[in-house]
Amino acid sequence: MKGLCGRFVKAPVLFLLVFMIFSLSLTRLPFYVSASDEASSAIGEADNDLRRAFEAVLEAESVGANVSGLIARLNEAGELLAEAEIADKIGSFSEAVSKAEQCSVLADGVMDEAITLKGEVLAGAQIAFWQDLTVTAMGSAVFLVAMFFVWGWFKRAYAKKLLRMKLEVASDVEA
Amino acid sequence: MLKLEDYRTVFASVGLIGVLLFASPTLGLVLHLPSGEKFSELWVLGPGHMAEDYPFNVGADVNYLVYVGVGNHMGCSAYYVVYVKFRNQSESLPNATAGTTSPLPPLFEFRLFVEDGKSWEAPLRFSFSNVSFFGDRCLVGSLMINGVTFNVDKSASWDVENNGYYYQLFMELWIYNVESRAFEFHNRFVGLWLNMTSV
Repeated sequence: MKGLCGRFVKAPVLFLLVFMIFSLSLTRLPFYVSASDEASSAIGEADNDLRRAFEAVLEAESVGANVSGLIARLNEAGELLAEAEIADKIGSFSEAVSKAEQCSVLADGVMDEAITLKGEVLAGAQIAFWQDLTVTAMGSAVFLVAMFFVWGWFKRAYAKKLLRMKLEVASDVEA
Repeated sequence: MLKLEDYRTVFASVGLIGVLLFASPTLGLVLHLPSGEKFSELWVLGPGHMAEDYPFNVGADVNYLVYVGVGNHMGCSAYYVVYVKFRNQSESLPNATAGTTSPLPPLFEFRLFVEDGKSWEAPLRFSFSNVSFFGDRCLVGSLMINGVTFNVDKSASWDVENNGYYYQLFMELWIYNVESRAFEFHNRFVGLWLNMTSV
């Protein structure tokens, strides 16, 4: 009687346990999938941010800015993105998201600085260009005027020299 | 004695040279001379930062160290990715002639930015574990690179000619193309031949 009663009690408990395990496995699967998706999305965003930051740095460099500091920070961001990719590959999704987010923050900062630096360098370059152009124009004009005066003086000296020349008649020239 | 017309030509030439000299700073800003050949370098050095003492006969649970380096001569800063891959003798390497990459998935990666004329170098520490030998085959279960363990499960057959179970750890260089906004295989790769000798 006692054994039968125990069996009746055990059956629902067993069923409940199996049901709970099954439910848990079902609920865990979406969590796993969403964690993986979140990591992939964060990595994709960080990758995009890093590319845009690099393009901004490249533009700053093309106008003559010193980008050594920005390149060093891009390397830090690149290291974080590589770590995020590796963490994602081995299934450490939370670490991947964290590293990717850190990378995005760093890359955004670099991009802002690169844009500011480019603006500053362009403004400075414009002033330098006009200064160079003024020096070129003034210098060339002064030089040409000086050359003109030297040429005038030389022409006069040349004429005087010609006038001072004596006529020489060769005695042994046959007519 | 030169004629006056000849002196005039000399003066005109000196005047033109002088004007060009005065204009050279401005011309330098406007005119850009063509740069030299554009290329990148990829290298692997031994543990002493020299091209010697490379690991060759390797075993399980032993740490090995090499240095991976990249040099930039592209005329501007460049964004590179170095993919670290692991293969046995039957798997394909990148094809330098066709400019195609190895189809193997990368295990580890370095992302780096290098200014023109500068170089970058990083340590690559690796070790093997879960190595087993059966018959004329060797199986490498795991490969740890810079502290990250990857399950590789890669087998190699006994190489009769060279007497060993040969694997290759190799690196591919990829570069970011700003125009296409994508990474492209830069047709540079280097590798280390490794002979698995002990468990």
